[in-house]
Amino acid sequence: MRILIVGAGEVGYHVAERLAKEHHDVVVIDVDRDRLDYVESHIDVAVVEGSGVNLTVLESAGVGQAGMLLAVTSVDEVNLVCCMSVPPRRGLTKVARVSNPDFYRGGEALRPSRFGVDLLINPERELALETFALLESTAATDLTLFAGGAVQLIGLTVLEGAPVDGKTLREIGRRVGRRSLLAVAIERDGDTLIPDGETVIQAFDHVYAIAAEDEITRAMGLCGYSPTKLTRVMIAGHSREAFYLAKLLEQHGIEGTVLIADPEMAHEFAVRLERTLILRGDSTDVELLEFEGVGETDAFVAFTDEDEMNIISSLVARDLGVKQIITLLNRTDYLPLARRIGLETAVSPRISAANAILQHVRRGSIQNVTVFKDSDAEVIDFIVSADNPLIGRRLEDIQLPEHAILATIVRDEKMMIPRGSDSLQAGDEAIVFALADAVPDVTELFPS
Amino acid sequence: MRYGEILHVLGGLLMAVAVAMIPAGVLGALEGMWLGWLVSLLVPGFLGLAFFTLTPREVDLSPREALAIVGLGWLGIVLTGALPFLLTGTTSSVAWAIFESVSGFTTTGATVFAVIEELPASILLWRSLSHWIGGMGIIVLGVAILPLIGVGGAQLFSAEAPGMTTDKVQPRIATTARLLWGVYLAMTVMLGVAYLILGMSFFDAVNHAMSALATGGFSTRTASMGYYSPAIQWVTMLAMFLAGVNFTLHYRTFTGHPREMFRNAEWRWYLASVLAVSTICFFALGVSEGAFSFELVRRASFSVISVHSTTGFGTSDFAAWPIVAQVLLLGLMFLGGMGGSTGGGFKVIRGAVVTQHVLDEIRKVLHPRAVIITRVGGKPIREDLVLKVLAFLAMYMATHAVGTLILAALGHDLVTALSASLAALSSIGPGLGEVGPAANYGHMDAPALITLSVLMLMGRLEFYTLLVLLIPSTWTRTHRTPRPPRIWRRERRRALSRAGRKADPMSSWPSHPQEIPRSGP
Repeated sequence: MRILIVGAGEVGYHVAERLAKEHHDVVVIDVDRDRLDYVESHIDVAVVEGSGVNLTVLESAGVGQAGMLLAVTSVDEVNLVCCMSVPPRRGLTKVARVSNPDFYRGGEALRPSRFGVDLLINPERELALETFALLESTAATDLTLFAGGAVQLIGLTVLEGAPVDGKTLREIGRRVGRRSLLAVAIERDGDTLIPDGETVIQAFDHVYAIAAEDEITRAMGLCGYSPTKLTRVMIAGHSREAFYLAKLLEQHGIEGTVLIADPEMAHEFAVRLERTLILRGDSTDVELLEFEGVGETDAFVAFTDEDEMNIISSLVARDLGVKQIITLLNRTDYLPLARRIGLETAVSPRISAANAILQHVRRGSIQNVTVFKDSDAEVIDFIVSADNPLIGRRLEDIQLPEHAILATIVRDEKMMIPRGSDSLQAGDEAIVFALADAVPDVTELFPS
Repeated sequence: MRYGEILHVLGGLLMAVAVAMIPAGVLGALEGMWLGWLVSLLVPGFLGLAFFTLTPREVDLSPREALAIVGLGWLGIVLTGALPFLLTGTTSSVAWAIFESVSGFTTTGATVFAVIEELPASILLWRSLSHWIGGMGIIVLGVAILPLIGVGGAQLFSAEAPGMTTDKVQPRIATTARLLWGVYLAMTVMLGVAYLILGMSFFDAVNHAMSALATGGFSTRTASMGYYSPAIQWVTMLAMFLAGVNFTLHYRTFTGHPREMFRNAEWRWYLASVLAVSTICFFALGVSEGAFSFELVRRASFSVISVHSTTGFGTSDFAAWPIVAQVLLLGLMFLGGMGGSTGGGFKVIRGAVVTQHVLDEIRKVLHPRAVIITRVGGKPIREDLVLKVLAFLAMYMATHAVGTLILAALGHDLVTALSASLAALSSIGPGLGEVGPAANYGHMDAPALITLSVLMLMGRLEFYTLLVLLIPSTWTRTHRTPRPPRIWRRERRRALSRAGRKADPMSSWPSHPQEIPRSGP
């Protein structure tokens, strides 16, 4: 499929990269020649210089044959106008990135269809939602919801002396004895491996597990965490992500505090957030953090626009005794570094944005796709269609690609960890974990 | 300041007073006092006609000119309104006449007459009419004029006033006035009909309906509302409560949006305050009298609503209540009704703003670096408005202190001096001590009565409107700025459009600074 991406920024670049790897025909449009050069030299895509709101430019990029138009510049209005200027056509999906909260409050007048947009995505809000889910399950470093939240993918770092430390998965499975919890991947020393029954879990392994909703606390217990309830959260920064997160905290009745250095933005936040305490000050101001009792908060979220600032303030908060810290990192190359210095939970706006977009690119049988933060792995949620040749065959007879694992089958809203003797039925949801090179093969197994 | 244009409007106002005198004058002629009424009717009539015809008409008045008109207009009206009292021979004291007229037009309801039934019917009607006309003026003042000029944070009164569509001063005021007067008239008629149904005589029904809706307090009976049946008292309670509500909310109710009243934060504060103080007074009375009864509920809540809405009707002598209840009533005298109502006082919304601001200041002690926006009912209040309200509070307290001081110097006891000046300032009428609901102001000498009259006008006109008349520069300078040169105008427009862009906070939010990764992925 030909896909046009308008905007070669942070989000555009990452989406283009993912889509190119899946052998899509990607054209990136941007006004900045330097960025295009950078994109062209790093990923296998075509580039067109020009404005995304210029129809001639869009036509020269082949909008006539495109199956999808992704307007993902950092300016909402440009994205909307870009989608508006392309006439609607069957087989063309138009996606606009819109992050200004006002656009979502406009009601009828600002419905996406009035702009000729099929889908609005809001990466800042997606990131805030993801962060909120992480906050709720305190120990998790990653969290993704499937099947409406009934099934969750959780990432946990195994603590020293945890019940699973030093045991093989087979042993653990015998102890747990249930079909609602499965380790799908283990990250160790920067490598992602798909475990089998003989794999030994070690302390400091980063384990990704699929679990039913009510098994999440059990999974955390196995990795050595005790459950806590979220009551106070401190957020640093005045990014839109911070705003959306503070709003979410308000909606859930959690006491939120936001640290903002800029007086004007602090005032803005204070006007817009009724129940959140806004403090004017630097997020690395140790004295202020101490005075405001950051040590007694349940979580500290570093959401300023600068990665370096986020890392430092996270370290300060950790030093002052905050248990859970979430750090926003724009640069993905900082992610391994952050983990190495003990900042386990990092979120990345561009990965969130890419996830939000990719979910909608690969339509058909795919329900949901999640990209992992610092590896190439993906978790894909397929619907098994009625004419799928795999139906009725025992799973042990099905040859899955090497770097893929069928993690879960959701049938009648119940999840089960499949065994060799199980078989798929039409209408099942199959959640597959796969490394990037296996994704196209896996996708072929589940045609729509 | 353009004197001619101001006189033009004043002329119109005086003619309106003359027209308003006609019903009372006709009644007076039937009572055989035709000469006195004719003269008091012709004085404002001719004066007004002269002003009106001999001066240029100006549509586009500046806010400062509007301010001057309000102050001078009110002075002119109360002075001509005092004429019938003198010319019909009701009283020979100028101070009494002025006091009674000011008390009428400011909807205060304090009287110097001991036995009301002895007054001629035409004078009784004139007193009620002056309330009702004063109420009309106050609605427009509170909802349209004061917010426009922005004194004392009065912008808080008029967030959604009807007719606020044009930028020009006069069309705006005119539309708002017409719509709200319609509501005011309709409510007065409804109350009058209710009185008639409940067995009040026609004359009494007309007078009390006008007096109640204006939150005035003049009655045709010495016993005030205590003369009538409990059913009438309950209806009066409801009417007084509603008269203390912002008329913009009534307008919304009349046009099919009754829920807005219940959602309004100021209304909720007002209702909560009425209920809370009524309950406390009920128990205080019950304990002191040793008996609780349903009659006590009526007695307690009637006085509370009467004082809270700044009406001043009496059924019970609250000057003889337990001290706790009296102190609470003093508090309510200060607070008064809602902004944009016919009630006076500091206004509930201002009280809410001050309360919230004080609570916020306490929070700031716990979090010295906190950025806290004062909110009332969840709505953020602009900081300059909070400051204006605080300044207004200081002004209120200071004026009250000066009033108390003068009355004390004139030989009145502390409770009387304190409560009389507050009752005048907040346009309530009866106070405590020597001027309680069972007493009157007849025993005070002329200097005290004039002091109270000034206080009534100051409180009613929210200070600034009167004080600005005392500032010389109001009268000397022309406040119309000449049209600036073209190049300035262009600059200003640019600056405005820049400011406009900045006003949308979300659009100025920086996106992530590094849109492209510096190193390879």
